[in-house]
Amino acid sequence: MAPFTYRFTSVFNPKKFKEIVHSGHRYTVFYENSETYSCSLLDTFDNELMQAGRLLFKAEKLLFAFDMQTGQFAEQKVRRHWSFVSELDEGPIFNLLAGVSPLRALAPIGVVNVQKGQGNLLDDEGKTRVRLINLTLINGKKSATVGSSRPLRGYDRAHGDLKKWLSALDAIPCQDLVELYTSLGIAVSKYNPKPRLQLVAQDSIKKNTTIIIKTFLRVARANEDGVIADIDTEFLHDYRVSFRKIRSVLSLFKDVYSQEDSVRLKHDFSELMRQTNKLRDLDVYLLNKEEYYSLVPKTTHAGLAILFNGFEKERRAEHENVAQYLKSKAYRKQLKKWQTLFGNEDNLESGPKSGEFTSGFARRILLQRYKKVCKIARSIDATTEDEVVHQLRIHCKKLRYLMEFFTTLFPAEEIRQRIKSLKRLQDNLGRFNDYSVQQIFLKNVLAGQPAGNAKGIKVAESIGALTAMLHRLQNKERRQVMKNFERFDSPEIRESFDKLFKNEVIANENPGLLQQ
Amino acid sequence: MKILACYSNKGGVGKTATSVNLAYASALKGRRTLLCDLDPQGASGFYYRVKPSKKLKGKSFFKDVECFTRAIRGSDFDNLDLVPANLTYRDFDIFLSRMKNSRSRLKKALRAVDSDYDVIILDCPPNISLLSENVFKVADKIIVPVIPTTLSVRTLEQLYTFFGKNKYQRKKLIPFFSMVQKSKNLHKETMVSLRGQYKNILESSIPFSTEIEKMGVHRAPVLTYAGTKSVGNAYIKIWKDIEKRAKIG
Repeated sequence: MAPFTYRFTSVFNPKKFKEIVHSGHRYTVFYENSETYSCSLLDTFDNELMQAGRLLFKAEKLLFAFDMQTGQFAEQKVRRHWSFVSELDEGPIFNLLAGVSPLRALAPIGVVNVQKGQGNLLDDEGKTRVRLINLTLINGKKSATVGSSRPLRGYDRAHGDLKKWLSALDAIPCQDLVELYTSLGIAVSKYNPKPRLQLVAQDSIKKNTTIIIKTFLRVARANEDGVIADIDTEFLHDYRVSFRKIRSVLSLFKDVYSQEDSVRLKHDFSELMRQTNKLRDLDVYLLNKEEYYSLVPKTTHAGLAILFNGFEKERRAEHENVAQYLKSKAYRKQLKKWQTLFGNEDNLESGPKSGEFTSGFARRILLQRYKKVCKIARSIDATTEDEVVHQLRIHCKKLRYLMEFFTTLFPAEEIRQRIKSLKRLQDNLGRFNDYSVQQIFLKNVLAGQPAGNAKGIKVAESIGALTAMLHRLQNKERRQVMKNFERFDSPEIRESFDKLFKNEVIANENPGLLQQ
Repeated sequence: MKILACYSNKGGVGKTATSVNLAYASALKGRRTLLCDLDPQGASGFYYRVKPSKKLKGKSFFKDVECFTRAIRGSDFDNLDLVPANLTYRDFDIFLSRMKNSRSRLKKALRAVDSDYDVIILDCPPNISLLSENVFKVADKIIVPVIPTTLSVRTLEQLYTFFGKNKYQRKKLIPFFSMVQKSKNLHKETMVSLRGQYKNILESSIPFSTEIEKMGVHRAPVLTYAGTKSVGNAYIKIWKDIEKRAKIG
């Protein structure tokens, strides 16, 4: 009962299709076209739908979707404005989009005219044996048809016949959308928040450091418009992660650039990130709204409502500040300056390690970081200060960033496994940190509340309840850290890290030294 | 999964029409439904335009459970599949016991092809002596159409007696009035008296309707072309009652 998903390089011709089916005398075809809808083609900024082979169209009050992987077509009415899957009513489209990130808005990436065609292949009893559904997409003078055919249960042979006829009309099997978009002249955004860095092992570390920073500057900049337009919170998140990665590079890749350059850049990037700290904190808070409500007793919900109204108001103001900042001449000038600076390694003064081979440098700092993580983690017991756990989190994150930067220098599967082995511990530490940060944030909010009035008391009550719950959750995560580290510190994983990063360190150190 | 047998020891009472339309009503409610045409004279398959499968005629059919799943045909309607069959009673026995036994190969095979049905409706042949008594053991409920006439009353009595004698659970029987003509006094009187005698009879009934006769022309369940008419509503209502009695869903 597997469906056949196909694409016609031109528009599907029902008349020709009928002719070819009827010439066999065994079947008849019923086929009809819908009206033509003027639609927006929707996707997330990081092309989640395109990558999953899904088409999503929005006509005036109608949504339709087509899944190239499963051949499934879905249609659903929409009444009000929506941007996120979670804002849709339950229905076929909602179900089809179930896996799409709840944090990403679906926004128009193109405008097309869409016509739906539906057909049945009938036998001599008038019984449907195969169904097919086509979507003809028209963008100006360019057009294409995609579709799928699916046999009813027990009628695979009839489906085989139909596939032959469709192929005779130039249908080609298709599960991927890039070619379709290209043939329709729809621009395919190449945005990827985690670009695969193509680093050459034998290149100097200075060259590759510059490439890494240049790449993440580009990723950050790609998010600016989305942050300004406030499309979804992931724009700011990706923007900040990119700069955090740049800062990690500057602090972890010691002596690649001159000390003077490094210190100045680290300072400047920190300054830049500070501008968006508050907005991100508020975003996190508002994203967790539902969870917070579920954590505390209903009696404190009234206080939470006041608190969250305040956050929403504050966020609007803070977003305005950030948008102004990103649009400002000074900001644009600064970013342009950096892009030029990191456009060529020669623009930066070299540090003592700048000429070292990337592979050797990478292995050395990866091993160092790995050992540091293990050293801190092994020192942790039930009595260790929270601050040490925070340190462990930061080092784990740095270790992961390093592995991601240098992915291409190592066997793909092995590095993927190492990153995976770290993930559980990292998630655990991440939650520990979130709960801790949130408590501090609430403490500050509480300090800013007017004392004595009824509103203030309600808010204080809800903050009290929430803080108690967050503290409990934090302790729970805290207890998990040792357990997760034990898993991470198993002899097999230890050996695999050693094996992966220890080799060739000595061999590669020489060229670097020679260049000094 | 619930197995419902649609059975009458008298012909011409609207048994096949009942199977065909109840299966459709069940599927319409989103229940994954399999309608098995077990009556060689019945025409469930005909009404759904499904041709009898050649593969089903072989003696070794049930030896290979895959053959069974391969014989299933999708109807033109969502959630509704058919086994268009011409089964021998021996095969029918095996079919039923396997259908019921959750560890059976048949059940596993059904699951393997993602066809673990919520409801299986058996359109049974109308003969008590020949009919495998397995139906009475295995089915969760037995739906019995009864025309409110003297003759039908007798056959219903016979069925209850047969159940009593053979120690089958009489409460499995769900009779309902079929082809009811409200204008006929005989029908009205018979209904009142039978309801007094058998508490199990369903509240809702199916009227005599030319729309049901037209099924042969449309070759489709009544609900597809007369869904808004009283007879369409009657099938929806009766299915609702049956779901309640059989504890479906």
